[in-house]
Amino acid sequence: MGTLMGRPGLAVMTGAAAAAIAVSAVASERSAWSFLVFVLGLLAGLAVAWRSNESPGAIVVAGLALIVVWAFVEGPPVTWSFFLIVLTGTGAAFLTNGRYALRRILGVIPILLVVSFVVFSLMASLPGDPAINILGPAATPDAVAQVNAELGLDEPFFNRYGNWLGDAVMGDLGNSVQLREEVADGLSRSITPSLQLMFYSLILASLIAFPLGIWTAYRNGQRVDRSVNTVMLGFFAVPPFVLAIVLVLFLAIGGVSIFGADVGLRILPGSRYVPFGESRVDHFKHMFLPALSLALGQAAVFMRLLRADMIGTLRQPFIDLARSKGLRTRRILWRHALRPSMFTLLTVMGFTVGTLIGGALITEIIFVLPGLGGYMFNAIFQRDFIAVQGGTMVIATLYILILVLVDFTYLALDPRLRTGGSGLGGDGG
Amino acid sequence: MVADLDSGVAPATAATAEPAPAAIVDAGPENGSDAGAGVRRPKALGVMFWLAVGYLVVLVLAAIFAEVLPIKDPADTFSGTAKNGPSAEFWFGNDGAGRDIFSRVIYGAQVSLIIASVGATLALLIGGMIGMAAGYYRSRVDTIITTFTDATLVIPPLILALSLILFLDSEAARRVFILIVVFVLLSIAPIARVVRASTLVWSEREFVLAAKTMGARNGRIMFREVLPNVAPALISYSLIVMANLIVVEGAVAFLGLSVPPPTPTWGDMINKGRTDLEAAAHISLVPAAVMFLTVLALNFVGDKLQERYEPRESVL
Repeated sequence: MGTLMGRPGLAVMTGAAAAAIAVSAVASERSAWSFLVFVLGLLAGLAVAWRSNESPGAIVVAGLALIVVWAFVEGPPVTWSFFLIVLTGTGAAFLTNGRYALRRILGVIPILLVVSFVVFSLMASLPGDPAINILGPAATPDAVAQVNAELGLDEPFFNRYGNWLGDAVMGDLGNSVQLREEVADGLSRSITPSLQLMFYSLILASLIAFPLGIWTAYRNGQRVDRSVNTVMLGFFAVPPFVLAIVLVLFLAIGGVSIFGADVGLRILPGSRYVPFGESRVDHFKHMFLPALSLALGQAAVFMRLLRADMIGTLRQPFIDLARSKGLRTRRILWRHALRPSMFTLLTVMGFTVGTLIGGALITEIIFVLPGLGGYMFNAIFQRDFIAVQGGTMVIATLYILILVLVDFTYLALDPRLRTGGSGLGGDGG
Repeated sequence: MVADLDSGVAPATAATAEPAPAAIVDAGPENGSDAGAGVRRPKALGVMFWLAVGYLVVLVLAAIFAEVLPIKDPADTFSGTAKNGPSAEFWFGNDGAGRDIFSRVIYGAQVSLIIASVGATLALLIGGMIGMAAGYYRSRVDTIITTFTDATLVIPPLILALSLILFLDSEAARRVFILIVVFVLLSIAPIARVVRASTLVWSEREFVLAAKTMGARNGRIMFREVLPNVAPALISYSLIVMANLIVVEGAVAFLGLSVPPPTPTWGDMINKGRTDLEAAAHISLVPAAVMFLTVLALNFVGDKLQERYEPRESVL
C-alpha cells in the first residue's frame, strides 16, 4: 500500500477502521460491542472510499487487510471474521455490479436445495434403523416405535424433508442423540479450528505459490523452471497425511538417525490445539505444521496453474509495450501480468479451499485439532445420521459461499465485468 | 498514437516472442531444438517417464505374483525382531509385531491397486457415458447432469466415503466390494466434468457436422466420431483418478475402515507405525514412501500422456 497517500478515500477508510479497532481494543474484553464498533468503523470507511471513486479491487483488499488486523488484535470468534469477509465481498460486488451480484446470490438457492435434497435422501436411503442404533439391538418394538415418533421418522419422506429443511433454515439442525447435544452447537464449536486451518494453509500456500509461479513462468523452460516444477510435482503427489507424519517426524520429534547421524529438528511443538484467544504465539506455533502439511500440496497445484496462465499472458503485446516503456521486470510481472493470469487460479483456489472445510479430516486427527473433520468423523462412527446430515449441509453451504466469493473477486480483477449485466454470467462449469 | 506504438513494437518482438496461434503452449525454448524439423513431432517422453512406468510395472507384477514370490508370509511374526531396522533378511525392517515390512508392503499393494484400478475403470465407463451425453446433447440433458455433478462435488469426498462405508455395511466381510462401489460413486462426477468439457470441444468440429449431414445417428456419432478423440485424454486422466483413489483408500485405511486387519494395507501400516514414530520411524515411513512413489509415478505418467493428447495444447 505504498500509494495510500495519493488515495484520500483509502486513507480515510483505513483511519476509520483503525480508530474503531483502537476503540474496541481499549474498551475492554471481547464482546459483541467491540464487534459492532469495528463493523461500523469498517462500513463508514468503505462508504467514504466508495464515494471517492476508489477502484473496487483496492477497497476490497484494504477491507480484507483491516479485517485481518482486527482479528489479530481482537481475537474474535473466527465465524465473525468469516462473516465479515463474506459481507465485505458481497457488499463490494453489489456496489460494482448489482445485477450480477444479485443473480449469483439468488443462484445459490437452487444449488443449496439440490444439495440438501441429495444429502437428505442419501441419509434416508441408507440401510440400518436409527432407532436401533440409539437403543441397541435388544430394543422392544414399542420402544423403537416411540423413538421413531420422537424423531419424526414415522412420517412420509417428503414431510420429513420439509420439516428438516425448514428447521435447518432457522438454524436448528436437530439434536444429536449419540453426542448428547444440539448439532448446531457442536458444529459452531468445532468450526473455529477448521476455518483457522483453512485460512492459514491458504495464506501459506499463496506465499509459496505466487512467487514461484511468477518466477517459473518468467524463466519458462530454463533449469530453474524445470527443477522447481519437479519438486512441486513431488509435493502434489504426497498424500497430506503422509506429509503430516513426515513433517512431525523431522520438525517436531527430532527425526531419524541415519548411520548414527541425527537428521531432523525439534523446533516445533507436538500436536495440541491452543485457542487463538489463549496465546497468540502458541496458537501459531501449534497451527504451523498442520497448515503447512495442507499448504504444500495446494501450493503445488496453485503454482502450476499460475505458471501456465502466466506464460500465456507474458506473450501478449501489452507486456511488450510495458517492457518498451522501460518498466522494471518486477513491476511488469507483479502489476501487469499477474492480474490477468489469475482467473483459473482463483477458481481452483475456491474449490481447493472449499474442500478443506470438512476434508482436512485426517490432518485434524493427526494434529488433534477439535475441528469439523473430527466432529464429522465422530458422528459418522457413531452412526449419528442427524449430525452427519447437518454437518454435511453446513460444510456444503460454506463451500458454496466461498465459490460465490471467488466469483465476486472476478469483478475486482476484471473491469470489463463491472458494467452491464452480461459478462461472465453463466460460467456453467 | 496507440496504433503507432503498436506497429513500432511489433516487428522487434516478432522474432522473439510472437507465437503462432496454433502452438501457443509448445512454443517455449525447451522445444527449440526440434522446432526446425518442420514436422509436428510429439515431444520425447523422457527418462523420468520410463522410470515411472518401470516402477509401476514392477509394483504391479510384484502384487500379482506375491503368492509365488519367495517372500515371507505377511502375517508371520518373527520373535525378537520387533521394530528392527532394515537388515539383510528383512529388507525394509520389521514392524511393531515383528512382521516383515517388505512383504507387507507388497501384499498391501494388492488392496490399493485392485481397488484403485477397478474403481477407476468402472468410474471411467459410467462417468464417461454421462459426460459424453451432457456434452453432446447439451440443453436440458446437460443442465440436469451438471446440476447433479456439481451438487455431489460440493460434498467433501472423504466424508461421503466414510459415511457410505460405515452406514452401508456392518460386517467387514464385503469391504473390498463396498469400497469399490463408494470410490466409483466418488469419481463419477469429476470424470463426467472432464469428459463433458472435452466432448463440447470435439462435437463442434467439422467432421462431426459432416457425419450429421450424412444422416448418422447420434449414438453412432458419439461412439465413432467423438469417442476416439476424447479417449486418449480420458485414459491418461484415468491414471490421475487412480492416483487419487490410492490416496483416498490410504486415508480410509489410515482411519481403520478399509479392508480389515489380517490383510495388510498401506494406510493401516502408516497409522499403526505412528505410535513408534520416535523410536522406529521406518515402520511408518516405508509404506508412506511406497505409497508416495506410486502416486507420484501415476501422476507423472498421466500428466505426460495428457500433455501429449490434450486437444487444446496440440491441434486446436
